[in-house]
Amino acid sequence: MSPIVKLENVVKEYRLGDTVVPALRGVSLEVNKGDFVSIAGPSGSGKTTLLNLLGCVDTATSGLVEVAGQDTAKLKERKLTDLRLRTIGFIFQSFNLVSVLTVFQNVELPLLLLNRDSTAKRKQLVLSLLEQVGLDTHAKHRPNELSGGQRQRVAIARALVTDPSIVLADEPTANLDSVTGNSILALMRGLNESRGTTFIFSTHDLKVMSHASAVIRLADGQITGREAPAVAINHAIAELQSAVSQVTP
Amino acid sequence: MTARFKLLLQLALRNLVASRMNIAIGLLILSGTMFFVVFGALLQSISKSMARSVVGSISGHIQVYNSTSKDKVALYGDLTGGAPDLTPMTNFPQVKAALLGLPQIAAVVPMGTDNAVITTGNIVDVTLEKLRDLVRAKTQTSLREDLNALPSSELDKRIGIQVAHVRQIIKVLSTTALRSKEILSDDAIDKDAAAALARVSEDAFWNGFQAHPNEALEYLENRIAPQVTDAQLLYIGYLGTDLDAFRRVFDRMEIVDGTAVPTGHRGFLIPKFLYEDQLKLKQARRLDLIRDALADGKRITTDPDLRRWVKENREQTSDILLQLDAVETERVASGLRALLHSEEADLGALLDAFFNTNDDNFRARYQYFYDKMAPVLTLYRVRIGDILTIKSFSKSGSAQTVNVKVYGTFAFKGIEKSPLAGAMSMMDLMSFRDLYGYMTTDKKEELARIKEATGAKQVTRANAESELFGADNTGATATVDSRTITADQELAGHNRLQRIDDLLNRTYTEEEIESGVALSAAIILRDPTRIQSTIGQIDKLSMDQGLHVAAITWQTAAGTLGQLIVFLQGIVLFIALIIFLVALVIINNAMMMAAIQRTQVFGTLRAIGAQKRTVLTMVLLETVVLASFFGILGVAAGAGIVALIHHFGIPAPNEMAYFFFSGPKLLPELTVGNVVAALGLTLLVAIFSTIVPAFIATRVAPVRAMQADE
Repeated sequence: MSPIVKLENVVKEYRLGDTVVPALRGVSLEVNKGDFVSIAGPSGSGKTTLLNLLGCVDTATSGLVEVAGQDTAKLKERKLTDLRLRTIGFIFQSFNLVSVLTVFQNVELPLLLLNRDSTAKRKQLVLSLLEQVGLDTHAKHRPNELSGGQRQRVAIARALVTDPSIVLADEPTANLDSVTGNSILALMRGLNESRGTTFIFSTHDLKVMSHASAVIRLADGQITGREAPAVAINHAIAELQSAVSQVTP
Repeated sequence: MTARFKLLLQLALRNLVASRMNIAIGLLILSGTMFFVVFGALLQSISKSMARSVVGSISGHIQVYNSTSKDKVALYGDLTGGAPDLTPMTNFPQVKAALLGLPQIAAVVPMGTDNAVITTGNIVDVTLEKLRDLVRAKTQTSLREDLNALPSSELDKRIGIQVAHVRQIIKVLSTTALRSKEILSDDAIDKDAAAALARVSEDAFWNGFQAHPNEALEYLENRIAPQVTDAQLLYIGYLGTDLDAFRRVFDRMEIVDGTAVPTGHRGFLIPKFLYEDQLKLKQARRLDLIRDALADGKRITTDPDLRRWVKENREQTSDILLQLDAVETERVASGLRALLHSEEADLGALLDAFFNTNDDNFRARYQYFYDKMAPVLTLYRVRIGDILTIKSFSKSGSAQTVNVKVYGTFAFKGIEKSPLAGAMSMMDLMSFRDLYGYMTTDKKEELARIKEATGAKQVTRANAESELFGADNTGATATVDSRTITADQELAGHNRLQRIDDLLNRTYTEEEIESGVALSAAIILRDPTRIQSTIGQIDKLSMDQGLHVAAITWQTAAGTLGQLIVFLQGIVLFIALIIFLVALVIINNAMMMAAIQRTQVFGTLRAIGAQKRTVLTMVLLETVVLASFFGILGVAAGAGIVALIHHFGIPAPNEMAYFFFSGPKLLPELTVGNVVAALGLTLLVAIFSTIVPAFIATRVAPVRAMQADE
């Protein structure tokens, strides 16, 4: 099975005035279709940068980024946008719903951009997804009438409505309480299983990590391991303890 | 596509009320549109009213003239103030027939404008002429048949009255001379004039009048008349036209005093405004002006103009004093003494006191002036029925003179008070052609008569020598005509007068009127909106039929005035441009801020797959919706204001404005054009000011969506 995303020796550097800040230093990675992968690591480890590259919203300084078999470096702006529309769904940390549109309209938005389905088909797709995320009764609400968890469910529905191959989620539970965060993860996992959609999400939350099928650990812009959640959590705890012992006299 | 557009539209509509910034921009757009609707309606009404004034009072919708002319038609004169150099249309009947072939043309009226000088004799000249007529009637035969019929005793009586008047004038002049002596140095006084005045003041001079009236009259005419400076050279603009056709077509024209010039007659009509303003006795005119100003709520005590008029009336009483003979002087003086409870003997002093009017006594004095004094005064220098001698310089530079009878005064309905509409007198086309130096049927006839009488014949250039010097060319032989010249018969004014009389009473057929040349012609359209297309058709017609005519709009034909309209429109356009620029900057700023505030929305849309052009469309559409929504509200508000203004009307602030308002009040009306223009401009400004913010929105990177909300 060919990987749905493939990174080879990817370097990403940001320029801050005269200094060059390396965000990723030679990352190689493959994710297969249907995976439910978590990218873990402390703040500043390069999680978001990695997701940006995978989501084709940013380009690598060097190295190969291949999404759905396409070398993103070779794609023009328009094609890249099209690739995002058709292949990738996004779930944002702060939900990023359009406040003036209803829940239904927010979810319908990617379908309208795709310009593929009839009105009836769109309605059916949107409502079925809203049902799956448990918000079919809230279709006519505005985002500001919903709780954080409900908003993120709308965002999940929006990410999935075009039936993308990959869904990228950047810290999807960071702005939610732990109970809600868990239920969001459970929902994502359920959809991963029922629809076979690949999920790649970043987190530094150990509980969230535990939902993943595999955890890619990132530190200082480099991958330090790809492990099962339990192993990764243990690694994380060990790192934490050593950090604590260093500061305790 | 449509569903996406619908969503973008919905987004735009929802965003409209979602942000306070949008409301602020919207209010700006609303007031801007409102301003443009009101301003546009006002401007358009002024433009329309002015068009009504110009079109309805002189120019018609289109003017045609000879296309080989050096200048264009400038009915109100060109920028140099002179008349434009126009080549006459010698084929007017053909042009008229061709033009009337176009179905949209309702009428074609031939015309031409020029300037002329009218001389109104001074009061001494007039009085002396009366006296001379009477003397002539007594001694030989007068030119005036009515006087010749009078018995000698009646003539003596009338001569006595006129002599008394002349002596009264001399008395007034002497008093004035005495006064100037007090002011002026000896060198400044004309000694000859003083001596002449002294001589005619003596009884001895008048005792001699009985015996040698002609010598006495000559002395008075040569030495005394020039001392009176009230003679007036009046420069007037006049319009020579087919008066019947003009009255039919320009139906705003109405006769105020007298009558219209009878059909087919030569004649002159004076604009009522000019008649009052220039030809009326100055005191009477100023009293009228003060009366009008008081009616408008002004006060003599507070208004400097009114005070100046009162002062001038008190100081310049000689116009009245010179007009009155001894009997009338005493009659007026005694009346004034009774009115003013005064013992004063001198009429000059009494008039000074009488004209010293204030807010309390003005009405009574005004009434008294017209009831008691006006009947013995000549109120107008030119009276209805007078025969006016009009002098003009023809194109070749020679002075031409015509005599025309003044039939009446006229005004154009609604713009009676406008000096512009009341500047141009009217003359029949025949007299105009005479004055302008064209060959008229009368002149042709006269030439033919002269040719016949003298036996002159046409000589061509080729056989000029043989015709003039004989075919054999052996030498010239002059044959002396032994006919005696009878001076009386040839030169006496009698024959001349007879000819004038003939001309004045002659009736011309419409064919005769139209068969001569015309400088230009006014075209009246059935549908005034079709000016441009008709001009195109006339040009084509002229080309096809070789008419050699050019057609211009009334605006161009109005000359200086037309340029004034263009200038006014230019100023308005300039103001509009500045307002636009200011609005552009403000809206642009606001839109820029709105765009910056919404970078995450744009980033998200870009991230989830919206192309740049979708974002561009979205932002521009928002602006269009915003501008349309508030623009329509602005139009509604503007329409309300225009309706309100229409209800009350804007009163003309001065006499000049009457012409621009085409009446005493401006009644602005909203037109579809106004609304479309205001909305269109609003949209244009809004879209223009959003272009940069919209492009900025498209430049928002999709990665912006990933960054946490600040």
